[in-house]
Amino acid sequence: MRLPRPALLPVPALLALVLALVACATPPPASDPAALAEFRQTNDPLEPANRIFYAINDALDGVVLHPLAVGYLNAVPGAVRDKVHNALGNLNSPVLLANDMMQGSPRRAGDTFMRFVINSTLGIGGFFDPATSLGYPRHDSDFGMTMALWGVPEGPFLYLPVLGPTDPRDASGYGIDIALDPFTWFGNGFLVSDLYIVRYGLTAVDVRSGLIPDLDKVKEQALDPYATFRSLYRQYRKAQIEKARTDTPPPTQPWSAAAPAAQ
Amino acid sequence: MQTRRFLLRSTLATAALAGGTRLARAAFALSPVQATQFIDQTAKQMIAVIDSPAPQAEKSAQLQQIIDRVVAVDEIARFCLGRYWRQATPAQQQEYAKLFHHVLLNSITGHLGDYKGITYTLGRPIPGDGGVQVPSVLTRPGQPTANLTWVVADTGGSPKIIDVLAEGTSMRVTQRSDYGGFLDSHGGNVGALIDALKRQARQQS
Repeated sequence: MRLPRPALLPVPALLALVLALVACATPPPASDPAALAEFRQTNDPLEPANRIFYAINDALDGVVLHPLAVGYLNAVPGAVRDKVHNALGNLNSPVLLANDMMQGSPRRAGDTFMRFVINSTLGIGGFFDPATSLGYPRHDSDFGMTMALWGVPEGPFLYLPVLGPTDPRDASGYGIDIALDPFTWFGNGFLVSDLYIVRYGLTAVDVRSGLIPDLDKVKEQALDPYATFRSLYRQYRKAQIEKARTDTPPPTQPWSAAAPAAQ
Repeated sequence: MQTRRFLLRSTLATAALAGGTRLARAAFALSPVQATQFIDQTAKQMIAVIDSPAPQAEKSAQLQQIIDRVVAVDEIARFCLGRYWRQATPAQQQEYAKLFHHVLLNSITGHLGDYKGITYTLGRPIPGDGGVQVPSVLTRPGQPTANLTWVVADTGGSPKIIDVLAEGTSMRVTQRSDYGGFLDSHGGNVGALIDALKRQARQQS
């Protein structure tokens, strides 16, 4: 197998080095139950190491990804950026479909399948997204979510180089998604690997440029950006997973959802 | 965990049925319809101010009045300090609440121009333990739509906004994490947080 992300190669070595140099977070004493409860809830035993990786990523982002994303926003018109975004999403359809099926969600799997068929043909290779207006809206699905729906706990918070905020479940899910992607295994030769790198590079710039207003705001306004991102990441994932879990067609009775809580 | 949550919910429900604690009654007093009407009215009032031709300063003052009336700022401030609220002296609590109020108002009124021409639709309200959630879709000219959910609860007899959810993330929970992280790395010193908020308030003005 070709290594999918050359940039990730030095990561395990760097991880081991930082983990060896930095001690774990010290829990508060048992005499302070409120602090201890909060420490357990935060579930970030590797916080000192995570904060180092956050600082490294933040510095790299400042000199590499952020300027690229800003340049992309300035140089490429919005209409073109939307098409790139659509095409990248369409390329991810096989992974989405596999996860929808593993999550036992035939309706979402059907949406993904129809989206892929419609957008690859009518949408000219995925550059346009006619599927949404035809009643097949976009949704998120990945192996981290699949494992969550299978009952795998998220585990402690992790902040990894390049990948950013994650946890053991989502980080391993990311690896599985790469393995699930047929494009990881298709063909060989320079052209294919070049296209592969272009796709990942574009995805990084596409995602980062979409996040510019929000990330900039947090970095500008938060007193502790690391703690803020940790909280946002966890809440966002929880909401994504809940959405996948409860994604059913709207009930026929508009107030039926009110019944259980009102009892 | 789920059993505990179930127990808590049934206790609250029993308390509410028996006319028990004020908190339990408050959470159940507001109907989903009332909450939606409240958000609808508030949105109309705010949009009327934002789109009016009045000078910026006057608009800000009018918006501040509306925000003070419809947002439970003191409750949110207290929530955001978490366990450190009880560790703060009464003077610190007062100063912190004042600064929190100031920073929150400025961060809303500071971007008034961005909200011009905004329109909205409200979704089906969802009653919950902590209040009624009213989903909304905001549309601004030339901007992507934004999905925000307003959490409304009965505080002291009148409905007030106690939280805003964006893509499933709660603003007050996120703010509490921010302050909590800052306080943890400053030895739990509420005075340091107050100083940081003062700096933030100065930067805003």
